[in-house]
Amino acid sequence: MRDYFPFFKRRQDITYLDSAATSQTLYTVAEDQRDFMIEHKSNAHRSGNSMGTWVDQQYQLSKELIGKWLNINHPEKRIVYNSGTTQGLNDAASLIMSAMSSGVVFVGIDSHHSLILPWTQSGNSKWKVVFINLDKDGRLDLNDLQAKIKQEPMAVSKVIAVNAVSNVLGLVNDLDAIKKIALDIAAVSIIDASQIISKRQVDISGFDFVAFSWHKVYGPMGLGCLLIDPVWLNFDPVRPGGGTVTSVSIDTVTWTDSATKFESGTQNLAGICAIPRLVQWLIEHQNDIETHDIGLAKIINDQISLAQFTPTSKTDSGLICLDPAIGTVEDYTMMLDAKNIMIRSGKLCAEPLITQISDHGLLRLSWGCYTTKQEIEVALDSLGEIHARLSRHVQRAI
Amino acid sequence: MLDFQDMFSELFELEDQLDKYDWIIEYGAVAKPVFSVNKLDKNLVKGCTSNLWVEKIQDNIYCYGESLIVQGIASMICDWYNQASQKQQMNFSLNTLADIGLAPLLSMGRQNGVANLIAKIKTL
Repeated sequence: MRDYFPFFKRRQDITYLDSAATSQTLYTVAEDQRDFMIEHKSNAHRSGNSMGTWVDQQYQLSKELIGKWLNINHPEKRIVYNSGTTQGLNDAASLIMSAMSSGVVFVGIDSHHSLILPWTQSGNSKWKVVFINLDKDGRLDLNDLQAKIKQEPMAVSKVIAVNAVSNVLGLVNDLDAIKKIALDIAAVSIIDASQIISKRQVDISGFDFVAFSWHKVYGPMGLGCLLIDPVWLNFDPVRPGGGTVTSVSIDTVTWTDSATKFESGTQNLAGICAIPRLVQWLIEHQNDIETHDIGLAKIINDQISLAQFTPTSKTDSGLICLDPAIGTVEDYTMMLDAKNIMIRSGKLCAEPLITQISDHGLLRLSWGCYTTKQEIEVALDSLGEIHARLSRHVQRAI
Repeated sequence: MLDFQDMFSELFELEDQLDKYDWIIEYGAVAKPVFSVNKLDKNLVKGCTSNLWVEKIQDNIYCYGESLIVQGIASMICDWYNQASQKQQMNFSLNTLADIGLAPLLSMGRQNGVANLIAKIKTL
């Protein structure tokens, strides 16, 4: 699959292991965005001219194909374009808060900040945040969730907000069981799918909100999707503006009854016009992508102990984090960079979890469908070399 | 006029990036003062990925960084600053590091930390 990604032809010097932060770009996405900018640039929605109509057609086609890819009926009522996962999760929280004045939100302790902060920022004191702990393997502990639910009054509004895969642990949470719990207690459910959507086929039916970013799915920057249960179309948009209405007078407004209700203003149309060919490619290669991800996770799990590092957990998908015994993650990141190996380190925008498992942050190696077994092995060998190098320095200093 | 590149000419003669890091780590290890920099909040440099403390002790500025490389880079900066003229100290900024070729060793995130280190040193 590597040949589909022009980056690797241009930058053969780079070992790219930061795909959990952003993936490299599929060739069709690069082509289609360029073509939009130099050949088709026009605005969508009621332009009245043929160029605008072409953009409208691409926009509609993109939602139809996403619907086919993710098995979503009536995609025009369920797929909201936005700038990315962060905006999607903030909009979901704002929409819930506009519908329910107070309540309890159960948030996975393994969550990215973007899933936590909309509920904890000042002014949201009417929403109590309760963290769901992890089980011994590192996945969300659903017994802990159920015990904490029982501690809250029945009548209180409840939200369950979790990620499908932690961006720190790479472990797949049990979405089916979480969905069942949410349905049992009539809780609103929010899924941060940003780390799973490019790797696995996932059943997103039955959740109120599912958010992801296209730049992690080999697609354009600055474009995301919030998948919504159509029941939320009964509520006013959190960001009203152009495209959200069917009519406006001095006294009244009639909101549209499609998902564009939550897409105020001009969207990233260059990105959206690149979605049809990207999604067709994803549909065509879904099985290969999933098999590849599982295969690399197995290699990592089998070989990581050889690299003299302790992983925070075994991995299921996409990434693994390591806590070095000598030196700091900054030392490793700089030295790997000197070998043209790109990784990410630090607290990974997941401080509630990181502070429980590490004093200094973690090293994260993450892969995409283009990553080779050899690249993983080069990175592990290099980590071992750097560990030895730093150990010599520390020994000399003693 | 104390020239940064002259002061650390050994480093700038190295070509391999890993060799440069080795040199910087060694420098940081040697530069550690015999007394300890107090790891107090008031001495902490904000904005660094790993913790870095700086303190003025007996008219000189010293540092202690958790990262071996950061300790080395910060020690170079402190040592240069301790010996620089008053005018050089006043004009010292992140641009100075760019002018002398140290900036490529620093990512944007680390540049923010170093900018904060320079700002903190100037207050001591």
